[in-house]
Amino acid sequence: MTDHDDHVGKPASVGRRQFLKVAGITTGGVLAAPAILKLTSVASAADRTNITFASAKFFGKRTVAEMVDVFNQSQSRILVRYDELPPPSSSTEVHQGLVQRLAKKDGSPDVFTQDVVWIAEFAGAGWALPLDEYVTANEAAAYFPGVLAACKWQGKLTALPWYVDSGMLYYRKDLVSKAPETWEELVAAATDIMKAGKAKIGFSWQAKQAEVLICDLVEFVTSNGGSILGDDGKTVHIADDAAVEAVQFMYDTIEKYKISPPDVRSWDEEPSRTPFTGGDVAFLRNWSYVYPICQDAKASSVVDKVGVVPLPHFAKGKSAACLGGYQYGVNASTKNRDASVEFLKWLSSPETQLLFATELGLAPSRPAVFDSAELGKAQPFMQTLKPVFVGATARPVTPKYSQVSLALQSAVSKAVTNGNVADALKEAKAKLEGIVGA
Amino acid sequence: MTTLPSVGRLADSRRSKRLTQRSRAERWAPLLFLLPAAFTLLTVSVYPVIDGLRLSLRNTMLSTQEDAFVGLSNYVRLTADPDFWSAWRHTMLFTAASTLLETVLGMAMAIVLYETFKGRGWVRAAMLVPWAIPTVVTSKMFGWLFDGQHGVVNWLLMQTGLIDGYVNWYGDSQTALLTIIIADVWKTTPFMALLLLAGLQTVPHSLVEAARIDGAGPWQCFWSIRLPLLFTTLLIAGMFRALDAFRIFDLVYVLTGGGPADSTEVLSTLSYKVLFSGLDFGYGSALSAAMFITEALIALGFGLFIVRRMRRDNG
Repeated sequence: MTDHDDHVGKPASVGRRQFLKVAGITTGGVLAAPAILKLTSVASAADRTNITFASAKFFGKRTVAEMVDVFNQSQSRILVRYDELPPPSSSTEVHQGLVQRLAKKDGSPDVFTQDVVWIAEFAGAGWALPLDEYVTANEAAAYFPGVLAACKWQGKLTALPWYVDSGMLYYRKDLVSKAPETWEELVAAATDIMKAGKAKIGFSWQAKQAEVLICDLVEFVTSNGGSILGDDGKTVHIADDAAVEAVQFMYDTIEKYKISPPDVRSWDEEPSRTPFTGGDVAFLRNWSYVYPICQDAKASSVVDKVGVVPLPHFAKGKSAACLGGYQYGVNASTKNRDASVEFLKWLSSPETQLLFATELGLAPSRPAVFDSAELGKAQPFMQTLKPVFVGATARPVTPKYSQVSLALQSAVSKAVTNGNVADALKEAKAKLEGIVGA
Repeated sequence: MTTLPSVGRLADSRRSKRLTQRSRAERWAPLLFLLPAAFTLLTVSVYPVIDGLRLSLRNTMLSTQEDAFVGLSNYVRLTADPDFWSAWRHTMLFTAASTLLETVLGMAMAIVLYETFKGRGWVRAAMLVPWAIPTVVTSKMFGWLFDGQHGVVNWLLMQTGLIDGYVNWYGDSQTALLTIIIADVWKTTPFMALLLLAGLQTVPHSLVEAARIDGAGPWQCFWSIRLPLLFTTLLIAGMFRALDAFRIFDLVYVLTGGGPADSTEVLSTLSYKVLFSGLDFGYGSALSAAMFITEALIALGFGLFIVRRMRRDNG
């Protein structure tokens, strides 16, 4: 600038020279601003404890990254850096990314989020810090019992609940006067509706050879009082009578009662949802994401005609909803344990859960948060789901969940396709014993 | 005058020095030029194969942190694994059926496109469109076409009276693999047609003309002149196609996920599940090695045929 001034000597250019000076300083200032700001943030970062947080990518009105910023601005002792993993729809890639990071045991990431089915695997490998000493019994009692149970491995709490999702029954309020409570009632109601020609499909669910088939399986089997693995995670109950009856019922919805089309064998979530919002289906088993679509007049012909209730059960069982959702964990080899736990507790606190609910549409795992007036205003439907989530049931809890799931997918797909239920499940039992047996 | 010979001798020795230098450079230069390619091949192709074979002899599992040498036990487990053999059969069936269909249909297309007609250039270009579409898009498209409830294929077959009820194409273990074969044939036949068209153009026109003058019909021309001369091309194209079809992944992954009842599970999807969902690198590598061996055998089979054929043609 000064160099320039010296060479411009004409009196006529004084005005321009001054203009240039001011403009130059302003431009310089604007350009330098981010650098200066960064400098101050780096300066404060040095005083703060730095931790990293790895999470699958979620977004609604705001993103997970923005939520991390909320924490960083709320206090001045800890600075969280966010390490973004792929979205939960790419579950295999998220899992791989986490395993690769945790297996290095270098303390990074300090805090992470995990699908509920990986909790046992990460705990079994010794990657997840046991949290019992940081969470009192009273604090633990504030979560849905099913979610908290899923956060435990061999009696130790190794994860803290984030958000909850589960299977639920959608039904057409205009076709059914009262939602069915048992599978028997559902079959009767669906048969009547189909006979009367009010809907083409009685009951839509998911039998594609994929993870969702295991979710549906857990719901059918548990609602008949059965289970897939015992509480020890080593005994196999998939070939017990309760499980065989339940899987037989899955097959019967297609071949005996004919309330489900054979197409469910290739349907996962979306293909099973489209005929429902198209008005062709009386009952649908699906996750909570379906409701907003039902109420969207552009995508749905059943606006205001849809009700949601807990899934039906068999005579000897109780309603069961397969638990989904992501939970928090702390890396066992973290070098900043106190800061990590503090951030973890902030993440799982009622205030933050409410924020995640209103800003990202993720349902809280604390029943108390459901009753808050803010949630009622921002997400009225979410509030009605509280009774559904109370019955949320975990999928088999074992460090070898991925292998267990793949073996079950193959066996149950065979059972609901060929109808040789007992044989398919016996075969599955032998395979599972090979995988989880001591 | 004494200087001349000495100068000559000096020049001579210089020349011979330059010559040895040049010959050394000539000997090393090609190797030097090959180095980048060799390095690339070694790092991206040879090393992974060898490392895969090494892993297949270990019980490496990321989630349990096991990692020990276990000899051939993964292969022993493989030979007794019904899932592996069913996937192997599906893969072989798919490979054989799709390669055969694509070769026959591709041949027919190539013959039509060889003839001169109006707009041939356009047709030749348009023919490649299915091949250029990403397979994931093809999968989604066939998902809608063959949909059991609203699919166009069912509707058309119903209209023409070929079926009495809607067929649950990829939701039925009897028809799922067939649906995938149809989708693959639709997508890859143009590629075969292109290869065979190139082969047809190498057949000397004079031979066909001579045959025509001798009174041969179009069928005879094809059967006795073009096809025998095209045979080597046919084998090479078939080999390429078979090796490619053997690796089928995306169509299955998107359309059926291996189901229903494992009826479309192929080796690629099975090893993907074992390797990346189960993170069982040891057994997964043994699966991949089995794929590699099968592919090598297929290539060898075709290779022997091709070599024999070429020898006969030349001799």
